Order: sequence, then C-alpha cells, then structure tokens
Amino acid sequence: MARDDLAFLSAAETADAIQTKQASPLEVVQAYLSRIERLDAQLHAYITVLPEQALTAARRAEHEVMCGGDMGPLFGVPVAVKDQFWTTGILTTNGSRLYRDFVPTEDATVVTRLAEAGTILLGKLNLSELAMGGTQQNPFGIPHNPWALDHTPGESSSGSGVALAAHLCAASVGEDTGGSGRGPAACCSVVGLRPTYTRVSRHHMTPMCWFADAAAPMTKTVRDCALVLRAIAGYDPQDPFTSRQPVPDYSASLGQSIRGLRIGMIRELQEHDDIHPQVRQAVYDALEVLRGLGAEVQEISIPLVALAGAIFVGVADTEGAGARDEILRHRAAELDRASRTRLQAAALVPAKVYNRAMKARVLLRQQFMQAMRQVDILVSATMPYPPPKHTTVTAPFTGADDVRTRFFFRRSYTGCYALTALPAISIPGGFTGDHLPIGLQLGARPFAEAQLLQVAYAYEQATPWHARRAPFANG
Amino acid sequence: MAWSNADRVRELARLVGIPLIEEEISEVADRFESLMREIDRLMSLDLADIQPLTIFPEEE
Repeated sequence: MARDDLAFLSAAETADAIQTKQASPLEVVQAYLSRIERLDAQLHAYITVLPEQALTAARRAEHEVMCGGDMGPLFGVPVAVKDQFWTTGILTTNGSRLYRDFVPTEDATVVTRLAEAGTILLGKLNLSELAMGGTQQNPFGIPHNPWALDHTPGESSSGSGVALAAHLCAASVGEDTGGSGRGPAACCSVVGLRPTYTRVSRHHMTPMCWFADAAAPMTKTVRDCALVLRAIAGYDPQDPFTSRQPVPDYSASLGQSIRGLRIGMIRELQEHDDIHPQVRQAVYDALEVLRGLGAEVQEISIPLVALAGAIFVGVADTEGAGARDEILRHRAAELDRASRTRLQAAALVPAKVYNRAMKARVLLRQQFMQAMRQVDILVSATMPYPPPKHTTVTAPFTGADDVRTRFFFRRSYTGCYALTALPAISIPGGFTGDHLPIGLQLGARPFAEAQLLQVAYAYEQATPWHARRAPFANG
Repeated sequence: MAWSNADRVRELARLVGIPLIEEEISEVADRFESLMREIDRLMSLDLADIQPLTIFPEEE
C-alpha cells in the first residue's frame, strides 16, 4: 500500500490493516508524519507535533504485533487531541498566549484512555483561544479549511476538523461546549459527536464552561466515532460528575435497520428565515434518505430553540467570564482582541439576566424532553450556513445587529444540545454548489448514543458524502 | 442626561473592576447591547414557576 494511502484509511481500517499485518504501526505513523510535514505549514492544524514520541510508540506497537499481543480495535491508530487536554511533559497552550509555557505534569483522563486503547499520539491540535470560538488572530496560526483554504474550518476544535479532512491524523478528540466539536465537523465534512453531558471525563481538560463542556470524539467515519467514544467514555473517580452508567459497545448497533424509528425535523431551525437555502434543502434531502431507509419522519416543534443561542451566551459566556476574572483583571492584554471583548462584555451581565437565562435553559430542556417523547431522533442542520470566508469571520463587528447575525444566530443550532445536556452528532450532509461542506445534525435522548450512531451510520452508508476527499488533502 | 452605550459599559466595567481598552469600548458595548437585546426576547416567557436548576442528564 502506498504511504499516502495508509493515511487515507479510517481508524477502523487502519487498526484492521495492522492486525492483519498488511501495514505496520511504524509505516502508518511515518505516513502521517510525512503528510503533516508536507501540508501543515499551510493548514495550521497542529500546534505541537510529536514525531520522536510517536515513532517510539510505533516501534513499541510493532513489537507487540510481532509478539501477537492483545490488540484492541484502535491498536496502533495515530490520533491527535485538541490542545485543551493536558499531556504530561508536553506543551498545552489552550490556544492562548496565556498558556504558551504551560507544560502539565499529568495527563487528562481522555489522553490516558486513548493510550490504554493502544492509540499513538501524533500531536496537539490547534483551537480557538481558550476553546471559546470567535478568535480573530489565533496565536499559533490561523487554521485553514482543506475544502477551501480561504474559508474557516469552524471553531473551536478547528485543528481537529482540519487534521481529519486533510488526513493528518486517523482520529481525534476535540471538545464541544456549545458546538465546538460539531461546528468544525460540519465545516470540514467529518464526524463530530457531543456525548451526553457526564458521559466522558473532563479531568484535566481545561474548562470553558463547567455545565456544558464535553470531550468530543471527532473522526473520519461514524464507525470510528463509535470506537473512540467507547475508548474514552465511562466513570472516572477523578471527575466526580462522570456518570456511572455502563458503557455499551457502540459499534454493535451499526448496520442495524432504522425501520420504524421516529425522526423529528426541528421546525424552528429548519424554517428559520436566515438559514442558507442550500443547507435547508440538504436537510430536506437527508430526511428523504432516512424515510427511504424506513424511518418515520415528522416535523416537531421546539418553540424556544430559536433563542438557544442567546440563552447559551447568557449562561455560558457569563460562567466563562466569572471563571476568568483574574485574567480579565490582570492579563487581558495577552488575549486575542475578540476573546477579550467577548469575555469583558459577558463579565458585565447583571445577575437578573443570568438568572433569566438559567430559567429559560430549564424550560428549553423541558421542551426537548417533551419532543423526545414523540420521536427517537431529532434532525437539523449543524450550522445554518456553509463555512464562511476567514475575512467574514475576522472582520470587526459593525454594531449590535451585526453581533446578533454573526454571533448568536448559528449558536442556536448547536447550543441547544449543550444547554439541555443531550447527545448530538454532526455528520457529512452534502455540499453546496460551491463545493463547501454541509453538516447534518442528529440529536437523541440522554445516553442514547448507540441509537444516535445507528441512525448516523445508516445515513452515512446510504450517501456518498463521507467518501469525498478535500481538495487540499491531495496536495 | 442619557448615557451612551459606551458610557454605560465603561461604568459597569469600573464597578466590577474590569479594565477596558479605550479603543475597544465600542466593540464591548456592541457585544453587551446585543446580548441584552437577545435576552430581552426571553422577557415574554412565563418563567415564574421554573427554578434555575443545574441540569444532569439522568433527570427527566
């Protein structure tokens, strides 16, 4: 197999190639390192690449293969994590100059579990500053979308989306507070899962907002997503909020029929005046695919969902600003301008406004749970428009209306699941006429990731989108 | 005399002890005004019987 071809495999295919000795872990790691060296100077997916560490781990894995050791479904697979997860002895910047010298002495639980699953860490991936989104000038390089270099790859797990779309890692774990994993997945035409809140440990994952932060598997395929989730999910005594619910084999539901499952299209998101017409049409097309697979499709109303962006910012930004009070008082000058002004504005929000947003959040949760009694899976676009140009994202705001259009609107699509503690996944859902990716979002009941992945897999296998390769990935 | 948005933000920041950069005050004010306007849209909701609880997934 040609070296680049190894990097175009999914994580599951890579593990299979290693187990059947069609490829060695060393060959696979070398293939990825070679691509990173060739492409990443332009893409800025990585903040830190770990060639020596990865090659050493690959040689060790190769020895285990030759000895016939016990290999799991991700054994030998090269992965990368968002630079928000602590890594022992390795720089962990959180995408901010504030942490430019931060070298942890402990691993995040997610990093430990990925290593226990036999994966090989290639490096640490770029992100929006402090995992907030909205960064105008990323301190460690502006990440570029492999589908169109002048367009954003989404935020805040930008590097994870870019690295997967450009085949610079086989799988990744990003983080999703209000859409930070699903947004880049949609922009880069890869898979991004926000698991149920508390499903995955957040120990030593630098926090953005404690009630919403979730470690997010990001992968090339739905099957890979099931494997990564199983590897990292489960109770962690170091994170007392993690759930003790057993972790199922998420791969077991893949390939099962979705006939008879009830699918609900969220009317308020799909019929919003400002959704891009080609994105809206892609969702309608996806519903037809699901109907063709035997699902029962209906419209469902969640009246408050269109305001989820406002509720999310009212609660999450305020929490984030409170948690960064010391930074805002003494080190704000070291932040990117957009991060600084966003946190400063949130720091001024009166308690009565925060309280109202918190109450609205509870009402939104009630409406979602009511909807979930009528359907099994909710469907919408992940983002209401295709990935915008960098120049649009980084342009200064021209007034409060501009803030509303560019900042709040899209956050309703992904923020609603963060607010309600429910799982949601973004999968490739088509392309615009300009060949820009469109993300399809599916949501489910608490801890129903197996069903979510079942439906996502059925759609993925019935459509060609996941098989397309980003133009820059061929470079 | 009515305060401008920038004046209001400047005063709020002083009260909470957050130093602002003078040339960025209009941007902070735009973000703050936009957030307040969005939250204003929640004013029509009847939230009297709802408590601002923390949500955990196991709860119905």
